[in-house]
Amino acid sequence: MSDFITIAIPKGRILEESVELFAKIGIDCRELLGKSRKLIFENEAQRMRYMIVRATDVPTYVEYGAADLGIVGKDTLMEQGKNLYEPLDLKFGYCRMMVAEPAGLADQDDPSRWSNIRIATKYPNVTEKYFAAKGVQVEIIKLYGSIELAPLVGLSQRIVDLVSTGETLKQNGLVEVETIAEITTRLIVNRASLKTKHKRISEIIEGLEKQI
Amino acid sequence: MIFKAENSKENSIPKGVTDFLPEQADKIGYIEGKICRVFELWGFRRIITPMLEYEDSLSLGMDDELRRRAFRFEDRQSARLLAIPPDITPQVARVEGMRMSGFPLPHRLFYTGRVLRHVESQSGRSRELFQAGVELIGLDSPEADAEMIAMAVEVLQKLGIEGFKVDLGQVDFFKGIMASAGLEAGTSRLLQEAIARKDSSAVRLILEGAALSDQLKEEIAALPRLFGGTEILDLAGRMVRNDRSQRALENLSEVIDILAIHGISEQLTVDLGEIRGLAYHTGLTFEGFVPGIGEPVCGGGRYDGLMARYGAAKPATGFAFNVLSLLQGLESRPEVEASKRMDLLIFNQQEDRRDALAIATGLRRQGISVARDIIRRDLEDSLEYARRMNILQVMIIAPDCGARDEVCLLKVADGTRRYVSKEEILAGNGRDLLG
Repeated sequence: MSDFITIAIPKGRILEESVELFAKIGIDCRELLGKSRKLIFENEAQRMRYMIVRATDVPTYVEYGAADLGIVGKDTLMEQGKNLYEPLDLKFGYCRMMVAEPAGLADQDDPSRWSNIRIATKYPNVTEKYFAAKGVQVEIIKLYGSIELAPLVGLSQRIVDLVSTGETLKQNGLVEVETIAEITTRLIVNRASLKTKHKRISEIIEGLEKQI
Repeated sequence: MIFKAENSKENSIPKGVTDFLPEQADKIGYIEGKICRVFELWGFRRIITPMLEYEDSLSLGMDDELRRRAFRFEDRQSARLLAIPPDITPQVARVEGMRMSGFPLPHRLFYTGRVLRHVESQSGRSRELFQAGVELIGLDSPEADAEMIAMAVEVLQKLGIEGFKVDLGQVDFFKGIMASAGLEAGTSRLLQEAIARKDSSAVRLILEGAALSDQLKEEIAALPRLFGGTEILDLAGRMVRNDRSQRALENLSEVIDILAIHGISEQLTVDLGEIRGLAYHTGLTFEGFVPGIGEPVCGGGRYDGLMARYGAAKPATGFAFNVLSLLQGLESRPEVEASKRMDLLIFNQQEDRRDALAIATGLRRQGISVARDIIRRDLEDSLEYARRMNILQVMIIAPDCGARDEVCLLKVADGTRRYVSKEEILAGNGRDLLG
């Protein structure tokens, strides 16, 4: 089993873009796009194995070495702070992690005067670090989805979330007030795998780098 | 919430610690035994350090991260803060400074022990680590560094591990580049974090805004990719300009040359962007990686600054194995499995126990492990017990078993029986008889 390279990939758009990118360096994993409910796929001839996992679980599989490589958003990496290598920015899946608030509040709000605020987010660790560095006390409400709802129903004044086109924000009467980070998709690598399989993994990294 | 097989709170154990039942404990003992044997063969002597230290004294020898992870509490006797050591090396350094500074050099010391470290909750990681390591104090020559790596390789080979790699680093290579860049502390820290993650794009982003020469930018930007085989050294040598980094490369290649004499070459990889433990290490560093195990199984390197913090400035190098991660990789190997087996269970059906005890004593003298069943029960039940306890054979002593003065040997695995005389067993060839 150890001469296989295992890659953990999350479902959805990242999966499609990843399959396309890997195809460019001769790694064929179109099988993953089929309707099968299988969670693990093997390409015997290319000595490759693919696992379909939840995006937030990708770093865990890779950190423990259950997968050698993983593909995951920088947002998840920032939030989890795992002990991993992230050698390559794959450049797709671009969005921004930002602070947003209702348009009405933004009109007379001055972020430099924030001192004690309540924020709803999927990213409590990033949020806490970001505001701690600015000396702002935050009360964080951890949510798992539909973050934009929180300010509309008075759960929090502001949110920290990802935005790509800004359409969801707009439709819910929110505006972006501060950008925390620019987010793209990353290739991550288990530390032991990079050492024990460095030839094959370096080839993949260098191959992908040329395509980006 | 109601759990099935509910444990009362009093009977549970804290998160991140484990009871090791005999099967696993035997395997841990087997692995530690192999490691310690190699340490002894290289002339190292055991040292035992206490489970408690004063926190301030222990902290002298730890970086911030390790200090944060120590278990600490107040001492009722002295009202000072105590810590349970999260690492044994600072303790060895303290002992060296306090007690051994007059001894002739070099000191070759080894230890096995358990340390405790806080971990993030729900990470599934153990808070208790089993370490087995060495410290070589008083030598600054590359041969001393090579000795550490050669010992690590010997242990991994003796444990029968295949495909492992020992990854070499040299923190002075990085420090040399950063010193000539002279960046302010904040930028420098960001760069360091990005290089540790091998995040090339973040490194380039940070460099964009920095006031540095193109040459230096190029050197820093290359760090996340300076890993691979020993050929990396030539590449790095052509690229880097400052003396300190060049000396680091020379040191690395000297160590690699000495390792070649030990017959160690193809197991080596080099990573000049590996800068974990930067606050602590001062020269060559290394980690051992085994296919299929996500974390390093051993790690260490040179720490010339540590002894001075305990009042006895001396160069030193050392490393330690993470025994539980080795166990993870070895658990199902036949020879490790075999380490938990016992030879014989004696099942006595006679009223008289003298034969049973005499045979047991005689066989133990021959180095065979023998347990007495003692409980009165059916042969079937005793066999089942032997199977569960990994005992290879059962000896039946009974008046109606075979000829007079014979006992029956029953192989637990396949149930085959053989009859041998008591005399023959006690004559000293028990090992042959048991096969």
